[in-house]
Amino acid sequence: MQALGDFWRAYQSTVAFAIVNAFFALSTYAVLSAGILSFATVTYAAMGGFVGARLVLQSGLDPMLLLPAAAGAGALLAYIVALIFLRLESHWMALASLALILITRVVVINVPSVTGGVNGLSLPVKLPLFVLAILLAVAIAVFYRLSVSWFGIASRAVREDPAVASSIGIAPRRIQTIAFVISGAVGGLGGMLLALVLQFLSPDTYFVNIAFTMIAAVVLGGSYHWIGAIIGAAVFTALPVIAQAIVPHFQEVANGIVLLLIMIFLPRGLIDPRAIRLRRAAHGASADAARGAARIVEGKP
Amino acid sequence: MTPASGSTVASPPLLDVAAIAKHFGGVTAVSDLSMQVRTGSVAGLMGPNGAGKTTLVNLISGLLPSDSGTIRFAGVEIQRSPAYDIASQGIARTYQNVRLFSGMTVLEQVMAGCYVRRGASLWASFLGLPKARAAYKAVERHARELLERVQLSAQANLLAETLSYGEQRRVEIARALGTSPRLLLLDEPTAGMNVQESNEIGNLVHSLRDGGLTVLMVEHNVRLVKEFCDHVTVMNFGRLLATGTPAECIAHPDVQAAYFGNTADAERIRALR
Repeated sequence: MQALGDFWRAYQSTVAFAIVNAFFALSTYAVLSAGILSFATVTYAAMGGFVGARLVLQSGLDPMLLLPAAAGAGALLAYIVALIFLRLESHWMALASLALILITRVVVINVPSVTGGVNGLSLPVKLPLFVLAILLAVAIAVFYRLSVSWFGIASRAVREDPAVASSIGIAPRRIQTIAFVISGAVGGLGGMLLALVLQFLSPDTYFVNIAFTMIAAVVLGGSYHWIGAIIGAAVFTALPVIAQAIVPHFQEVANGIVLLLIMIFLPRGLIDPRAIRLRRAAHGASADAARGAARIVEGKP
Repeated sequence: MTPASGSTVASPPLLDVAAIAKHFGGVTAVSDLSMQVRTGSVAGLMGPNGAGKTTLVNLISGLLPSDSGTIRFAGVEIQRSPAYDIASQGIARTYQNVRLFSGMTVLEQVMAGCYVRRGASLWASFLGLPKARAAYKAVERHARELLERVQLSAQANLLAETLSYGEQRRVEIARALGTSPRLLLLDEPTAGMNVQESNEIGNLVHSLRDGGLTVLMVEHNVRLVKEFCDHVTVMNFGRLLATGTPAECIAHPDVQAAYFGNTADAERIRALR
């Protein structure tokens, strides 16, 4: 009974982290789906996390009420980042966003009035797991609506070929700016959720480790559909936990091997709508051929 | 010979390119080029490889900024406008090498082409407001009509990259038509096609013109230019070489020289036939 309780406790925190990582992965997916590789999600997360935590401590309000503030802070920051980043070529943008992560840490250390500086910030408030799940469901609904709306069509066009997209009247910068703002809101929200799950924030909370997890989640989960980001986040949150249980000393190696296997055999990620469509088309064609053959056999052209 | 060539001389040109120039480093791609396209005509743009035809199409559609000169579309200067703005003003184009969006079905490609005519804000579309839903359905109907027009209705739900080359070119034309253009720029629409397929494209272009669309097409095939174009502009080394009816241009000694080397060579080649 004790063991079962321990297992659930460990399992529960893994689920909580998986949900938080899903927010980071969705934030990265938001810009990637408009053709931008950016690690700036970490910075939006820090913004949302520290602003949210500070507001909770200062006001004593229910953190649920302050989640919009964290999302808004992330979105505002992302808008400013977009104004600067969208002047850069894509690979420079990726590099600049890595630089932004390093700058974030320095800033976090140097504004102790908000972040607690090197000592960090403890946040003695907890969010129940079901609230996290509900928030993820809301995020899923938003990403679903985005994908089936005109924004989804436009961002796919911009991602595949910005020049062609603009020659059919889609303004790539505008679509990408919107993508940045969505990324910022989701990243800021994820940052505050991480603060509430950890209940303690330090300058190292929002650092390259998040960037690694979220990029692995979104690229290997499948960067062509929002489900890929969520599944990727679940896989890359659970993977280290499972690997530690099965091969305690080779956990990192096991992680690496899984990554390699996915990259080699599923280069477009675990969830790939294009492959699914191709497979469906092939099935349709072979079904048609079979029907045609049956007709010939029966002597009815 | 063609009905449009005599009747609309007095009307102002839909497209008016004046002394346009474009250099890439030290290379002059287009230099001091002027040309006009009359409303309701099918204009041909000819010239040997490297003459600057595609560069000119890129300048008109706003994909490249020009160095000097003006481009007027329906009287409005567009040479400084971004490509998406030019597209929404009514100029659509296709590409020399087919450039479809990977991973999209044929219908989705054409829907993307309808973006500027979507009839709902991005926000209303995201919220799925009834008005936006109705507008979306109307756009989808329109996209299906366009696919019917290019004879691809049966392929609507297939991934565009699985279609044949000729079909992909027609998808691209349908996508361009999605913007409801007044001027359609076709960059070598029949490249790599057989006689029957190119004739189909020619007939499609004629039916579009009869529906009120103006077309400017880059075309190498002399037979097609003769048969389907009302007016021709010939370029060489980025400059205007000749302009006039297809027959006039093809007979022009400079054009013959540009294509065959010189007039004597041209005669010799003709004698060999």
